[in-house]
Amino acid sequence: MIDHNTDPQQRVLVIGGGVAGIKAAMDLSEARKNVLLVDKAAAIGGLMTQLDRTFPTNNCDLCTISPRLSAGARQQHIELMPMTQVTALEGEAGNFTVTLTSAPRYIDLEKCTACGECHKKYPECVRFTPGLDHRAPTCMRYPQATPQAFSIDMAACKDVEGLVKVCPAGAIIPNDTEQQHTRFVSAVILAAGAELFAPGKLDHFGHGRYPNVVTGLEYERIMSASGPTLGELVRPSDQKQPKRVAWIQCAGSRGINREDVSYCSSVCCMYALKEAIVTKERFKDDIETTIFYMDMRTFGKDYEAYYQRAKDRYGIRLVRCRPHSIIPAAQTQDLQISYAKDEESGLITEEFDMVVLSTGFRPAEATKQLAKTLGIELNVHHFTKSGSFEPVGTTKPGIYVCGVLESPKDIPETMVQASAAACMAAKHLAKGEAAVEIEDEYPPERDVYGEAPRIGVFVCDCGQNIGGALDVDAVVAEAKKYPHVMLAEMSGHGCGKDALERIQQAIKEHNLNRVVVGACSPRTHEGLFQETIRRAGLNKYLVEIANIRDQSAWVHSGSRELATAKAKQLVRMAVAGVAKSGPLKDHQLPMNTDVLVLGGGVAGLNSALELADKGFKVVLAERTGRLGGLAAIVRRNLEGDDVQAYVRQLVAKVQSHSLIEVVTNAIVVDHSGMPGKFTTGFQIGPRMYYRQIEHGATVLATGSLANRPKQYLLDRHKAVLTQLDLDGVLEDQPAQVKEWQTVVMIQCVGSRTPENPNCSRICCQTAIKNALRLLDLNPEMRLFVLYRDMRTYGFSEDAYIEARRRGVIFVRYAPETPPQVAEAGNQVTVSFTDPILRRPVEVTADRLALSTGLIADEETTEDLAAIFHLQRTEDGHFLEEHVKLKPVDMSVPGFFMAGSAHSPRNIRESITQAQAVAGRVQSLLAQKTINLGAVVARVEGEKCATCLACVRACPYNVPFINENRQSEIDPAKCHGCGVCAAECPAKAIQLCHFEDEPILAKLEGLLERIA
Amino acid sequence: MENFEPVIVAFCCHYCAYTAADMAGSMRLSYPANVKIVRVPCSGKVDTIHMMKALEKGADGVMVAGCLEGDCHFKSGNTKAARRVVFVKKLLEEIGIEAERLAMFTMSAGMGTRFAQVAGEFTEQIRKLGPNPVRAGLKARKAAEKVA
Repeated sequence: MIDHNTDPQQRVLVIGGGVAGIKAAMDLSEARKNVLLVDKAAAIGGLMTQLDRTFPTNNCDLCTISPRLSAGARQQHIELMPMTQVTALEGEAGNFTVTLTSAPRYIDLEKCTACGECHKKYPECVRFTPGLDHRAPTCMRYPQATPQAFSIDMAACKDVEGLVKVCPAGAIIPNDTEQQHTRFVSAVILAAGAELFAPGKLDHFGHGRYPNVVTGLEYERIMSASGPTLGELVRPSDQKQPKRVAWIQCAGSRGINREDVSYCSSVCCMYALKEAIVTKERFKDDIETTIFYMDMRTFGKDYEAYYQRAKDRYGIRLVRCRPHSIIPAAQTQDLQISYAKDEESGLITEEFDMVVLSTGFRPAEATKQLAKTLGIELNVHHFTKSGSFEPVGTTKPGIYVCGVLESPKDIPETMVQASAAACMAAKHLAKGEAAVEIEDEYPPERDVYGEAPRIGVFVCDCGQNIGGALDVDAVVAEAKKYPHVMLAEMSGHGCGKDALERIQQAIKEHNLNRVVVGACSPRTHEGLFQETIRRAGLNKYLVEIANIRDQSAWVHSGSRELATAKAKQLVRMAVAGVAKSGPLKDHQLPMNTDVLVLGGGVAGLNSALELADKGFKVVLAERTGRLGGLAAIVRRNLEGDDVQAYVRQLVAKVQSHSLIEVVTNAIVVDHSGMPGKFTTGFQIGPRMYYRQIEHGATVLATGSLANRPKQYLLDRHKAVLTQLDLDGVLEDQPAQVKEWQTVVMIQCVGSRTPENPNCSRICCQTAIKNALRLLDLNPEMRLFVLYRDMRTYGFSEDAYIEARRRGVIFVRYAPETPPQVAEAGNQVTVSFTDPILRRPVEVTADRLALSTGLIADEETTEDLAAIFHLQRTEDGHFLEEHVKLKPVDMSVPGFFMAGSAHSPRNIRESITQAQAVAGRVQSLLAQKTINLGAVVARVEGEKCATCLACVRACPYNVPFINENRQSEIDPAKCHGCGVCAAECPAKAIQLCHFEDEPILAKLEGLLERIA
Repeated sequence: MENFEPVIVAFCCHYCAYTAADMAGSMRLSYPANVKIVRVPCSGKVDTIHMMKALEKGADGVMVAGCLEGDCHFKSGNTKAARRVVFVKKLLEEIGIEAERLAMFTMSAGMGTRFAQVAGEFTEQIRKLGPNPVRAGLKARKAAEKVA
């Protein structure tokens, strides 16, 4: 084995090819850093590729991840080593030597075309059968596997010679052996993931014994179009569609019994809701869905709304109870669950056709070995150990962690951590670009000028997403009849690697000069298809996407006929439009690599510092006169660290950094430009002078507000305070605190209400943090926490357990009957109903602490959204570009966000986002030039009548009258809105890519046959 | 007339209305399949000619959908579009076509619900109006061509 790259300073090792590893590798690659990505499996993709759909968008996973995977394989800075594990690591940060061991695949990756001949004839040589895979065995994990190749289990093969002969590509290497590689790497990113708990060990649930008890993942596989039943929802025992499905939450999690773990897996509530919603969407009233749960933990951004939708819109039944066991019904293979409810006495027994166990994450056995090999420590739960303020660090410098190996978490959180880990790992690489600049590998562009259109039409079925709602074959058949169409075919998962290669092959075979893809939205996939045809030698503007998923299949799923007819028309419009489109050239400009960070809280400070450490010049603008944000008034976090000390040293570092300029009392007043070339105007106090700052990227870390609703006598009685107030009192007046005999806390004050429907995420852990500190000062104190759902996700569940152990009394209240608070001299009386005793209880408390959480700083976000043209959520937080895949990018290119401007989060989570943003900015600014795209206005000078209509119409004052008395538009300044083109009475202006001709041709395509 | 299914062209700006339409999809909201979307970068890009041509060729209704007022990605494209829509409505009245066949809507990218709602309401409005009178003319012309 020969190393391609011998420069020891220039490579990051990423261990694990799940979404976390892929995201980290791709971020680094975008920033032009070299990556070595190793995965012990035969194909990258990890757990996410097994899922049917993902919350909260309920998208198909393969559709969202497979473009990333195939893109991952295409990235020029990524070297991928599947079936490879780390066996030794020596050296230190910046200079590690890693030993890798690759298992024999017995297949030459270069030669294998994944034709499947080998497994047709020799199915016994099968290495991989994911859960429930009872269709034809395959050793590819999922249809769009990367690398797209099989692997052979040679030990199971009895006829080696025959096997070798059966491969038409001659790709089988019967004498392949285990190989050792030694590589120099500067830093390591651990993204090895975790396993899902195998509940067979819990005998009371009968998983493995009762066929119709399945895990959440198995249910996903049953629902998945690429799963064993090809998306048919049937129960395993008799292949019949179930009528009543139940989910049992916390199977193996939040428990104290043998085989249980104590922590919360953070994702199961959402995935159970998702599975139930998807079931309801597909089968409506034909299937009843019931979820048995302890606390509904929908604490993520807008997840509470998802929960409410599940209840109110889809009619999913939620029962608060942890059933003990599942008992099979005699003969039928149905299942009985007995449970008790608060409101009713006695045991209720119900029968279900199928029970889904919501199992959570467990550290893999291999993790312990890997930790030992790398020399890092694990926490008590055998996940990696990292600091409160170094969220993606490990106990060893130069080794970073992301994803569920660090703690249980969902995909958006994983993506954020991956970007953060990429940012931190890049620190150990020498500054500047990768040593080996690989030449642009695009083939020369074919000149299609003067050719008659030769259009290829490719229609995705997108798993069941499109194919389930409309007749893809009919759309294809119809498309063959449209003018200029040379070829029309079905494209399966059109964004998968094989489908993309098929498009490229078809372009060459049929000498196509234009392409139409019937797919999802051009908003998300236009770039991918543009790049695909560019690689086949066509100008990238010669592809048109007909949005038959988001705008037909998904919105007309009630009528197959209507959806099919509409899809045909959309494809026809696209064909007509692309026929009239021509090749275009992108315009380019030099990149300004300075960064503007708005907001001087923990998120802004960390972003600024990470960027400046990477050599970027940063202007940190803060609206108020001081740095530190909300964290500057927080004293302790849940782990007990001194937050003040942390913030002080952070501020000091920022203020003394030579590349950071701090501007306080700065208010944004105007803004213009594009990524790589922004100009933002400020009024700067106290004298409010005007200053413009030029920058290439913008980070929004504008934070949120501590909520202070006028409820429960807050600010009217001195015994009532917020958790944040209490945090200060605990530090400053311990003697006084010791005097308190009784303290009551009320959760969800001002959150999860009609006015502020979302969960504030941090309040449950804050309440427990303060409860434990109160008990530290006075162990005899009586403490009541009145709550709706305790949402101590992840390892903070441990603190919840500790609080209960130390005698804190947790009493649930319903939102319809909130606690009542009345004055009682220096004390207050809190009345509430105990749901177990079903009796009113009255407690006289020395203090009442309200968990008031965080709310969006609506005034600020509204102003900034208007100035920067950003999108916001309904509750006034900023909206990310993609909730799952790009959680810190914003929809306006060049804008990123970190901290509680995104959604409520704790300090540790804010730091993670800040580091992620620094990584994303670094990727953006690694390009030397700004690509302005081709969507700019173009003037045909001879048609211009010098009427000045364009000059007046342009929102950016770009057009001017040149010395020839004709209008001229600078492509570098043009924003591409096309207003001038619409206003020009002489039609002398055309907006490239949206010219009149293709638009009118689309109308023609739609309306042709009306008469 | 009972089976009249109007054809509706919706010019949607990329940043808000088109995104809202996609959002309606990911929220699995349903709206009439009569509505066919043409994507434009900004509602301000929708030319008088585009609206007129759509109706001339037989569309029964035309929607122009852009960002909320004050939230245009291109500062003021949507207000220009609104003005242009008012202008074209007048033209339509002059030539004897109901001005209600054309309408401007605004919404933010997150308003999938609003997109589905206005698409539904507008389709109903056009259904009540009946087919675009131009259609009859188009049919007559085609018939005449056949005879000739």
